[in-house]
Amino acid sequence: MRKYLARRAVYAAVTLLGVSLSVFVILRVLPGDPLVAILGVEGHAQMRPADRVRIMADLGLSDPLPVQYAHWLVDIGAGRLGKSFFRGDTVADLIRHRGPISAEIGVLALIVSWLVGLPVGILSAFKPNSMPDGLARALSVLFIAIPGFWLGMLIVLALLFWFGYKAPIVIVHFWQDPWQNLQIVIGPGVVLGLAQGAYIARMSRSCLLEVISEDFVRTARAKGLREGLVVMRHALPNALLPVITISGVLLGFVLGGSVAVEQAFGVPGLGRALVTAVIERDIIVVQNVVLLYAVIFVAVNVLVDLSYAWLDPRIRYS
Amino acid sequence: MIDHTSDPKHATSVDRRTFLKRVGTAAASAAIASRLPAPGSVHAQDATLRPDPAAKRGGTLRYGVHTAPAHFDVHQSGTVANIGAQSPMYDTLLRRSPKDGQTIIPDLAWKWDISPDGKKYTFHLRKGVKFHDGADFTAEDVKATYDRIAHPPKGVVIPRTPLFATVSEIVVIDPHKIEFRMSEPRPKAFMLGAFASGWNIIVRKKSLEENGGNLRQVMAYPGTGPFKHVSRKDKEVWIMERNPDYWNKGLPLVDRLEIYHMPPFSAELGAAFLSGKLDYARLLDPVSWRKGKEMQGVSAAAFNQSVIQAVWMNMKKKPLADARVRRAMHLAMDRHTLIEVVKDTAPMQVGGFDYPFHPMSTPLAELEKKLGYQRDIKPAVQEARRLMKEAGYAQGIKGLDFVVRDANTFKLWAVAIQAMLKEHINIECNLRVVQISNWFEEVGGGNFDLGISAIVSTLMDPSDYFTAWYGKDGPQNYSYWTNPAFHDLTNQIDRELDDNRRKALVRKGEDILEQDPPLIPVAYEQIYDAWYNKVHGQNPSTYFGIYDVVRWDQAWLT
Repeated sequence: MRKYLARRAVYAAVTLLGVSLSVFVILRVLPGDPLVAILGVEGHAQMRPADRVRIMADLGLSDPLPVQYAHWLVDIGAGRLGKSFFRGDTVADLIRHRGPISAEIGVLALIVSWLVGLPVGILSAFKPNSMPDGLARALSVLFIAIPGFWLGMLIVLALLFWFGYKAPIVIVHFWQDPWQNLQIVIGPGVVLGLAQGAYIARMSRSCLLEVISEDFVRTARAKGLREGLVVMRHALPNALLPVITISGVLLGFVLGGSVAVEQAFGVPGLGRALVTAVIERDIIVVQNVVLLYAVIFVAVNVLVDLSYAWLDPRIRYS
Repeated sequence: MIDHTSDPKHATSVDRRTFLKRVGTAAASAAIASRLPAPGSVHAQDATLRPDPAAKRGGTLRYGVHTAPAHFDVHQSGTVANIGAQSPMYDTLLRRSPKDGQTIIPDLAWKWDISPDGKKYTFHLRKGVKFHDGADFTAEDVKATYDRIAHPPKGVVIPRTPLFATVSEIVVIDPHKIEFRMSEPRPKAFMLGAFASGWNIIVRKKSLEENGGNLRQVMAYPGTGPFKHVSRKDKEVWIMERNPDYWNKGLPLVDRLEIYHMPPFSAELGAAFLSGKLDYARLLDPVSWRKGKEMQGVSAAAFNQSVIQAVWMNMKKKPLADARVRRAMHLAMDRHTLIEVVKDTAPMQVGGFDYPFHPMSTPLAELEKKLGYQRDIKPAVQEARRLMKEAGYAQGIKGLDFVVRDANTFKLWAVAIQAMLKEHINIECNLRVVQISNWFEEVGGGNFDLGISAIVSTLMDPSDYFTAWYGKDGPQNYSYWTNPAFHDLTNQIDRELDDNRRKALVRKGEDILEQDPPLIPVAYEQIYDAWYNKVHGQNPSTYFGIYDVVRWDQAWLT
């Protein structure tokens, strides 16, 4: 087990190094001048060459690229995430303030996806080709196809025009006011959760269809067990592994999707901060937040892999 | 010397009778001043802002305006993101009256003199004014502020620097008197407008010294303004409280100001306002603004903004170097349709090469009789085709690279302009949408044929923007346009002190620009504001732009 963990840790480190290098290089080779956002259109137009040299040096952008990359890695190693180019706020503060909201949205999306996806998948699998199955399949295709940001915008507009309602416009953390906090995260959480739930419903349906044709399920039924017990105790645990695997992968979609969905709902989360940073070309913020997302994605997938052994005692890590 | 006195005793407290007298005098003066052509007249000076006699004190004003600033240095900024959020913490030497947004009234300078030759501006500063950190305000702070604006240190870029190009020396006469000496005179309206610009906030000399002259990352450097910094949540809200020691006694009227950062023309801002989470919203999208107007208990205003939306043509490329081709393209625009195309995205109005609402420009009604601005575009298109033929491009031009700044209005316009050019004069272009930071890199580097974007000026006065937009090597002359006759005219406009003669020169300049266009004017922006009727003291209907009257000291709530 230790050997396995060590190997996974090395893989994870290599993956994260690859991500860091990719995001670093991409941000530097992309066209666009960060000084436009810093100085504004008029200021940029009036900038003298000496001003550019001075400002780029102040921002740490005049060093050779390998030096800049090395500095960044050293800073990460020391736990320093740097400062935004713009207002001087630290990236750590940004993550501390906005991270919890995005994390809540992610967790809520995961819960919604399981709460919706799994029962729908079970229903579809145990009544294949029935009317409920057809409806469930149609809805799951629909939710996979509908872009989250579009659905989000519709929900925001519907709530506004029908009920004059808009969620709080500044961050309220759960520990400050749980009710206000819920109003902020519920919209994006449900929209993202429904899309992921559709995947889970399709995956659990196909896994269950496979499992319920197995001998041990037939045996359970032959013993006279109630259908509920057959599903919950015998079929479902054996069909869950691929569903858990896809949940880990779907987390990537949740992280990516949250960027657009937070924007649509006007939620000032980390995803939205990332969008703003990309538009402003706030390189330090972008590279650190992207790396954070990569760390979360890798860590969750390691945990998913480790959970196999717990879910299925036949699996051993060596 | 012309003597301008605003407040002879410059006392900071008044009894009721004096107060009422002053309000009456101020109102009468404002009425007279509004009929006078130039700001800076004796009457305009008796108008230090006083609270509305009917005003009530207290409450929290929730104001939604623009996204968060990229940095905190107001002088270095050109966006309402800074001035919209930070202005309530600062004062200027002079200011524009919130009553009409135009009349120049005293602020930290209670009186000013202009020498007869127009080369010396002397400001008499208020006594007893304190910065928020308790330090006294003196002429040294004004000198440090304006030295920096007029001659920014290396690494500091201030868009208003050209306004003070003729200021050769700033001399502190005594702690409350300062003199600006100029190498040559400029029109009074222009100079006073520059001193009254909301951008030119007075900052402490010490703040500048402590930060190497750069305040980009200094969040709340002390000002003398009506509100004091309380807290800020990045990209969310900036909270300020009433300055109890404000020099202008009785102001401000609200206890607390919450300034919410929200993207302009966005559904998010509209939703926050319509759902009652904001009391006042600036830069609303047309759909939310119209919806707000229909709501009971809501007022709305549309007013002019200092932004031109335009297409630049790279004159380093052969077909576009020909003035006839550029004029043909200018005439091929159906401007009224272009306004219609974006009517649900952003409010716009038709205009030419200068602000169509400025007294020196050709009035809109007259402009709309000219080719290129008429509702019936047939005569303009005919003339455009004739010009193309004369220039040797009767068959049209193919493959122009049209760089489009990534914003909804520009993307909508680019498609419409592409179609108009093709249909009217057979010019084919390929659209290339890029982010704003990339747009300026591409266009600034000459990697374009056509480019659509927007630029802004500080003042409505042509002397502010003729050089920047159309001057040889002007910072925003993206077309690389030159026209010696026009450049010579600009010099004359800058130096001409008589308004009537200046106006004639501006009109001559317009004629040159029409025949040899440095850009294709697409539209002039408007601003949509809306507020719940519990907000009083702020009606921007007659304001010009969103950079001068943004302090909220006169606003009050019921």
